[in-house]
Amino acid sequence: MSIGGSDLDRAITQLRACRPIPENQVRELCYKARELLIEEGNVVGVDAPVTICGDIHGQFHDLMELFRVGGDVPDTNYLFMGDFVDRGFYSLESFLLLLCLKVRYPDRITLIRGNHESRQITTVYGFYDECLRKYGSANVWRYCCEVFDYLALGALVTGAATSLSPTDGPLADNTNIENFPEADAEIEIETLNSNGEIMYRYARNSDSQSSASQATSNPASSSPIAPTPSRTGPAGTGATSSANGSSRNDTGAILCVHGGLSPLIDTIDKIRLLDRKQEVPHEGAMCDLLWSDPDEIDGWGLSPRGAGFLFGADIVKCFNHKNDLSLIARAHQLVMEGFKEMFDSTIVTVWSAPNYCYRCGNVAAILELGEDGSNAGYVRRSNGDQGGGGGGWILGSNVGIGNSGANGGNSNTVGGVNRRLSSVLGDIGKGREGPGRRYRVFEAAPQDSRGMPAKKPVADYFL
Amino acid sequence: MASSEIPNLRTLLGHGRGGPSRGRGRGSGHGGASHGGGEALNDQAVQKTDDDAASFRLSSVELGYLDDPYAKYLAAQSRPRRPPLINRGTYVRTTAIDLLIHKFLSTSPEQPKQIVSLGAGTDTRYFRLRDAHPNAQLVYHELDFPANTMTKLAALQKHPQLHSKVSPQPPPNPLSLTPGATSFHSPTYNLHAVDLRSLATTSKATPPPPLPNLDPSLPTLIFSEMCLVYLQPSIASAVISAFLTTYITAPTPISLILYEPILPHDAFGRMMTSNLAHRNISLPTLMEYPTLSDQRKRLRSYGFCDVSRAADTEFIWREWVAEEEKERIAALEMLDEQEELNMLLRHYCVAWGWRDGGAEGVFSRAWEGVVEMDGG
Repeated sequence: MSIGGSDLDRAITQLRACRPIPENQVRELCYKARELLIEEGNVVGVDAPVTICGDIHGQFHDLMELFRVGGDVPDTNYLFMGDFVDRGFYSLESFLLLLCLKVRYPDRITLIRGNHESRQITTVYGFYDECLRKYGSANVWRYCCEVFDYLALGALVTGAATSLSPTDGPLADNTNIENFPEADAEIEIETLNSNGEIMYRYARNSDSQSSASQATSNPASSSPIAPTPSRTGPAGTGATSSANGSSRNDTGAILCVHGGLSPLIDTIDKIRLLDRKQEVPHEGAMCDLLWSDPDEIDGWGLSPRGAGFLFGADIVKCFNHKNDLSLIARAHQLVMEGFKEMFDSTIVTVWSAPNYCYRCGNVAAILELGEDGSNAGYVRRSNGDQGGGGGGWILGSNVGIGNSGANGGNSNTVGGVNRRLSSVLGDIGKGREGPGRRYRVFEAAPQDSRGMPAKKPVADYFL
Repeated sequence: MASSEIPNLRTLLGHGRGGPSRGRGRGSGHGGASHGGGEALNDQAVQKTDDDAASFRLSSVELGYLDDPYAKYLAAQSRPRRPPLINRGTYVRTTAIDLLIHKFLSTSPEQPKQIVSLGAGTDTRYFRLRDAHPNAQLVYHELDFPANTMTKLAALQKHPQLHSKVSPQPPPNPLSLTPGATSFHSPTYNLHAVDLRSLATTSKATPPPPLPNLDPSLPTLIFSEMCLVYLQPSIASAVISAFLTTYITAPTPISLILYEPILPHDAFGRMMTSNLAHRNISLPTLMEYPTLSDQRKRLRSYGFCDVSRAADTEFIWREWVAEEEKERIAALEMLDEQEELNMLLRHYCVAWGWRDGGAEGVFSRAWEGVVEMDGG
């Protein structure tokens, strides 16, 4: 039997309930997915608006939480940066659901390859065993691995807006209004919690503003800034009007890869020339794109992972400059706050597996880029009326993040509004203005949520 | 030890490593007071902790992280291989304690020495040390609940590889033990069936239980590898106090090595305590000594007045393990969980402190060059 049309919708319904589909349907689905993916280039072109997601790792219930927080497919345009499988208990359901959605809505969801989408890694980190357990044979694992070989290596997002239209949502607890930019400021970064409440908001060039026009850069002191009139006005006014065309086309493209850069790749065109339809090699450009990590070093360094490389700020800035990029978005590394901007916001890590491995206690994030249009492409969406997700946002990181920018502290921390380094780096450092970035941060779904089967996970500790 | 000696068990939630029932034959030597519903649950949960330790050890051995020919005789059953970060963590924990012990035994090697392992469980260290230091004049003591020592004795009887090492001369086979024996004594190896909490009752009126062959004159290294952590802080303190003030009095050099989790208050630590609570495991001393500097203070407060040091296991991996060895370990398994591993390693520490009368003392010399971590 073939999987298409209503069959596909039935499979989606079944997978959304976290129930695997029969082996013959998996075979059919994987065949169709390959037909689709083979047409994609190594670097897929994606138009903003798009929501960029990091590692999922088989945490199916958290993937459902991600869709609740970010909006459902096809209403929201998604880009997943790989590592769908391994570690969690529901790699199969998670990957097959994403694949079904890809086949059903090919223009609304982009999947690129992570280092775990590999035969070798999945035999060590759980996906192979999971397939064997759920189907009694390795056939389904084999079908999935054949799809892995066809996944694109990266994506290039174009048409992203440089500024955000401020969300008119309520403020999250402990959010300090006084740190908010003025109403007519251009919003560069906004972070929302899983209930759509605003945790903080940054204006573009906020550090120069605060040093030039504000003696009261201390966030604790009272501020002359009016308390966020943008929130009270109609959505779409405020910041967007200030853009008045001047910076509309200034943002470069955003390159999305799972891991990072490669010493063998200095232009995006070189990625396009790779022969990707194979198992991830142990070395070489394709391996590096899936395995490398940014690090506080100069140039290139050896990776403790045993594959890929470490690369420093200079490498990122040169690459972005040469390729007319404003930002690199990547995944691959656990970050406790869900996302981490580095190197003057030239690269960001997005991590979408909350409480990773049921042990790490981290929150997850997704990154929304708006469309470069009159209202920055941002349409306030309904997140549904569920109050789920725990709501217990970790307050410490909210406050900490807000302050680090205001204090002009560590330029590597989230926010990255400290641009002092750019003067040191001259032309290259200046680069393109980054896109407006809206991060939605969420916690792990409650284990018994939505009546789906959930095995109580046991995390190992040294006892 | 009679159950009547155990004071108010209800206040002592959290057992010595392994708990009264970690082995078979739960409850021998324990009063009914400890067996309320919650307590029984706790017993079962803590029983599983040594299963974990033994299976982690076996996994690390089978994959080549650790060289330990004895692990297979003492692990209850072979289990599937563990993830790479568990194998690494097991390697670091074992290697760290081994290193401190090795330096102790290698300092004035002709001098007789004594080692006390608290809540030893299925630990294989004694047998490995006999191989690594064949000429050491070592008196080794393991303390654990009767149910556990009985299990270990059975393994000693069953496997000649263990059996042949328990005394200086080849012992009779089978060991001449009375039926139902839970303790074993020889000039080199001693298995004491004892509830650690009974040491905490020490006073002039109730002396601590006798520990045969424990020599009050020998430099003594005590270690607790995830053992005291299951006790209430006041009980843990009293147990160590019994050694310092009753069994091994000054000026005999004495030291303590602790391997315990730290940092319960950050996101990872909160998840750790909550996940373990779901397994009915509580770690009372973790809350009492949450940081490295708390652990150092703790050792000083116990009476290890000369020096107390501490380092988390990430630091230990980085600073104590030779580059060559790191490369060997890295080649064993592909590790794609670097951030998680580092976080896990940062949440466990080794703390060590001693009382030996100053710079010429055996511990001062043995551990002079062992670097600790700043701050914390």
